[in-house]
Amino acid sequence: MILVVAEHRGGKLNRATWEAIAAAQQLAAGQAVAIAVVGSNVGSIAADVAAAQVQEVVTLDNAALEPYTPDGFTAALQQAIDQLKPAVVILPHTYQTRDFAPKLAARLDRALVTDVTAIKATGGSAIFVRPMFQGKLSADVSPQGPAPHIVTVQIGSFRADAAAKGASPAPVRALAVTIDSAAIRQKPEPPFQEARQAVDLSQAERIVSVGRGIKEADKLPVAQGLAAALHAELAASRPICDAGWLPMERQVGSSGQTVAPKLYLALGISGAIQHLVGMKGSQTIVAINKDPDAPIFEVADYGIVGDLFEIVPAMIEALKA
Amino acid sequence: MKIAVCIKQVQSRDSQPRLDDAKTWVRDQDAAFEMNEPDAYALEEALRLKEKHGGEVVVCSAGPARVAQVLREALARGADRALHVQSDTIASADAFVVAAALGGAMKSENFDLILTGLQSDDQGFGQTGVVLAERLGLPHATIIMDVQVSPGPPGGVLRVKRELEAGWFQWVGMPLPAVLTIQSGINQLRYATLKGIMAAKKKEIRVAAPEAVAASKQRIVALYAPEKSKKTQLIAGSPAEAAKELVRKLREEARVI
Amino acid sequence: MQTLAFWVLFVAFVGAFAAQVATRVRLIAAAPGAFALDDLGGRVQRFLIDVVFQVRTIRERPVVGLAHAFVFWGFVAFAGYTTVEFLRGLGLVDLTETRWFFAYRIILVPFASAVLAGILFLLVRRAIFRPATLGKTLSIESIVIALFIATLMATFLLAFNLEEASLAGRMNWWAHMLVILAFLALIPASKHLHLVLSPVTVFLKSPELGRIPNLDFEKEEIGLETVKDLPKKAALDAFTCVECGRCQVNCPAFGAGKELNPKTIILQTQEALLAGERDRKLGDLYSEKVLWQCTTCGACENQCPVGIEHTPIIIGARRGLVSNGEAPEYLGSMYNNLERRRNIWGLGYDQRQKFVTSAALETFDPSRHDVLIWLGCAGAFEADYQKSMRSLFDILRARNVRFGVLSKEQCTGDPAKRTGNEYMFQELATSNIDDLKAAGPKKIVTSCPHCVKTIGEDYRRFGYEVEIVHSSVFVAGLMRDVRPASAPAGAHETVTFHDPCYLGRYAGTVDEPRELLTKFVGGSVDFKEPVRNRENPFCCGAGGGLLFADKEEEPGSRISDVRFRQLQDTGAGTVVTACPFCSIMLKGAQTSAPANNVQFVDLMTFVNNRRRDVTIE
Repeated sequence: MILVVAEHRGGKLNRATWEAIAAAQQLAAGQAVAIAVVGSNVGSIAADVAAAQVQEVVTLDNAALEPYTPDGFTAALQQAIDQLKPAVVILPHTYQTRDFAPKLAARLDRALVTDVTAIKATGGSAIFVRPMFQGKLSADVSPQGPAPHIVTVQIGSFRADAAAKGASPAPVRALAVTIDSAAIRQKPEPPFQEARQAVDLSQAERIVSVGRGIKEADKLPVAQGLAAALHAELAASRPICDAGWLPMERQVGSSGQTVAPKLYLALGISGAIQHLVGMKGSQTIVAINKDPDAPIFEVADYGIVGDLFEIVPAMIEALKA
Repeated sequence: MKIAVCIKQVQSRDSQPRLDDAKTWVRDQDAAFEMNEPDAYALEEALRLKEKHGGEVVVCSAGPARVAQVLREALARGADRALHVQSDTIASADAFVVAAALGGAMKSENFDLILTGLQSDDQGFGQTGVVLAERLGLPHATIIMDVQVSPGPPGGVLRVKRELEAGWFQWVGMPLPAVLTIQSGINQLRYATLKGIMAAKKKEIRVAAPEAVAASKQRIVALYAPEKSKKTQLIAGSPAEAAKELVRKLREEARVI
Repeated sequence: MQTLAFWVLFVAFVGAFAAQVATRVRLIAAAPGAFALDDLGGRVQRFLIDVVFQVRTIRERPVVGLAHAFVFWGFVAFAGYTTVEFLRGLGLVDLTETRWFFAYRIILVPFASAVLAGILFLLVRRAIFRPATLGKTLSIESIVIALFIATLMATFLLAFNLEEASLAGRMNWWAHMLVILAFLALIPASKHLHLVLSPVTVFLKSPELGRIPNLDFEKEEIGLETVKDLPKKAALDAFTCVECGRCQVNCPAFGAGKELNPKTIILQTQEALLAGERDRKLGDLYSEKVLWQCTTCGACENQCPVGIEHTPIIIGARRGLVSNGEAPEYLGSMYNNLERRRNIWGLGYDQRQKFVTSAALETFDPSRHDVLIWLGCAGAFEADYQKSMRSLFDILRARNVRFGVLSKEQCTGDPAKRTGNEYMFQELATSNIDDLKAAGPKKIVTSCPHCVKTIGEDYRRFGYEVEIVHSSVFVAGLMRDVRPASAPAGAHETVTFHDPCYLGRYAGTVDEPRELLTKFVGGSVDFKEPVRNRENPFCCGAGGGLLFADKEEEPGSRISDVRFRQLQDTGAGTVVTACPFCSIMLKGAQTSAPANNVQFVDLMTFVNNRRRDVTIE
């Protein structure tokens, strides 16, 4: 049996759970899949995931499990695994599972393979593919030792919409777990979002950046529109900030901020080295520039040689779809 | 405060790793090595805590003889002494093996606080710190942005800021002693000053053989370059077509939107 | 009776002179280190040129310099006269009646006239015209000295018209002698000490501009932290300063309105030494902020007529700060980049490899290649400058020069060295030297003037000597026997050249770029020189680590903006540069300046484009 551990916060299910369910169903290839929901008063979450085509949903419902603590979750899941005896436990690779999965694995003294992007089932034992060396290499990893093996799957590697739904909701039952709240050493305070007094580009996950190619200050709304459509922060290269079209806090480069977002979209930026050193750490770099020789194309993952004033509005349209 | 920082020596981030003959790990020869970057931030955090609260910072690392390079670097930045668990086979080992080796040597020191980077630049499993905490029976927290120490029973109290998804954060209280894995980029790394480098030559590096040996929990069956290469994809077509294609690729290929 | 009086005065004033000089000499002697005396021939030559013939003094400010030269030559000429009169005054021997002395006095008349004219001109300039470079407050002491000198010449000339034995004659003589004695007593505590010291300082000045010796880590040297760490030459420099302000006026930081003023640095040093503030931190004395405003362009040192070396003091003080971890933040990231990636950008080495592959560059092999091309940080990683490198490769291939590049190249360490991180520099240098020795090139060609200085001069201190030339020199040599057959077609354009500091000033390479610029263009190019050119350019602002320091909070303008305006003022539509960093800084200034059409082209690209346009015999 493959056990999926669902993730939720504030009464809402984390979408990545569906990706984990998809992964589990692929690995199970016909075998049973069950889902565990850990926390307090998780009835509605359990009802949500019961829509999946799984054997059952078990709730580990205990007041001591809200809020999340690694001590609490490890204790609860240890008991659940003891009772359910899964062959594999699958979790989404989130900040939360990174916090407790290794502890659970160490507690059980069982293998844990994290950040898996694909599963190769060869014969009896599965091989898990994961990136190594900053994504430069991929590794096929075989967990060793007795079951259960624990696996966390990289967000976006498995498609949430590939998770099969059941014809009717799966049965939900409560699993009795005893938690000694005195033994939980972490005392978490409520989560919060950082109050953003100033622009902090270094925390932004997506950035739309403008350069000289924007030509005039009153053309900025074109870029701002794209930033809004992408839920991205707006940034700029030095000449734009020098001219006062955008404040200095939005400058990216060696004399401004250094950023490393998941997505960096450079509009009309030539890619002078002082700008490059400020954004070279970005995961995915997209460049839109009229000049095919612009140095920015050397570092971009995707590029379009063309007029940004035609391309950007088309992108905004495509994003709405 | 007695603070330990576990650091790993990894192959240089910029060099292209070259596969060994078995194609299950990377070739050591001709490779450049450096301190794992997240561990460097952990070290910096430890040094700042020492500056604030007094005490000593001990850097610990497990690996072959070449690991002494990063230990010296840490000493040059301000760590007081180093612990080198020497083993030639541990460089490619998994977190359980490493945590056992380190834990065995560190146990007797009774550290107040143990810091590690959140994951290593080579394997990147992100497990060693947490497994180490479990083995030593200590509470832990991961992906920490800020560490505050205050006095309190039994040996002090921690309040740490955890990073959560999408711009959310959370403060968590814990008793000392504890283990924390530190997020990258939370502070400005100090570089080793000339005085530090000279002083480092006189600081102690204690070499020990691994006492506890754990069984390997993972085996790398194959290591290879992924199909997608890092070449610039120029998207052609009319502005409308190119824009649409770009959005599609960002959604499905790069998965950033 | 007169003789006795004279003796008393002589002992008193000369004693005062000697005591004050002794104080300063003691301070110099107490300073650590030793004076270097290498290249004696060069030193003697420079002594002749700068001291005897006053070339440096005259060149920068011709009229003022000539006036000063007259005064100086007059002084030297009068030495014999003064000696004879003193011997007479002290009652030791009287040579004043001799025929040769009579002839000597006649010969001195034109000298005295020249001195008088010169000193009156300088006096009027200082007191009435009040040039800004001499400072805001009027120097009373300088006025007094000027009046003394005028009086000396006047009394000398007057003596021809007076009966020596008469009252007037005797008063004239006493006036002359008393002024000399008073002058002597005033010299040591004023800038006029340069009369005594400057010939020595000029002789002891290093033959290379901006000489920064290695730190010896075995001896735990870490740089200059406090006043007592300042070496002997720095102490000597401090007392030699004539406060002329040539360094100040040529300093690009000062010219951009920043706080750095090389003259102030030297005078602060003098003050601190005299006040005995041995333990005062240099970062406090000079103000740390000021120390980081220097681009190490060398204009100050190069212009100084009395042999002062400002650069070792500034970089020495930087070393003291860096060794204690007190470098500014932007340098911290640069050092991290150098340490982890061995280049200032922090870019991965595969970027260099991408370029090497796409430009089809071969790995250097001494048996097959004539020259080694040193790419440098910009050549290896900066996409824009790589276009210039490709032009260079085109030219080399067209002239059948076989060349290769190193398989592994690290930053030469120049930015580390000039910002005071000597440890980083030595690490990079020793590693590069190992690789260079293994490759064994006889000749290295590079497009970066900083690399030329660092590999050509700084690496010598590690025992590694190799011939390294800037691409402009090498290509000019290649093209020397080339004659363009016909005039090129094409629009008429106005072109100017920005001399890089490390090429024009440090290496003295000013003719080859101009040779190349005018070679293939026939009459289609109007070549204009900007102000501050050739061996005395106005820095682009990148040196000394300032490439990364471009922050708005700095006072004054950006040095690059000031230089860009100077280049723009030539009316040229195209500015040619021969250094990757000049190119980066000035292009940045161009994009930040109000709308303009100035194009920047690297010298190699300029030459390569035109050489192809023209048929060559």
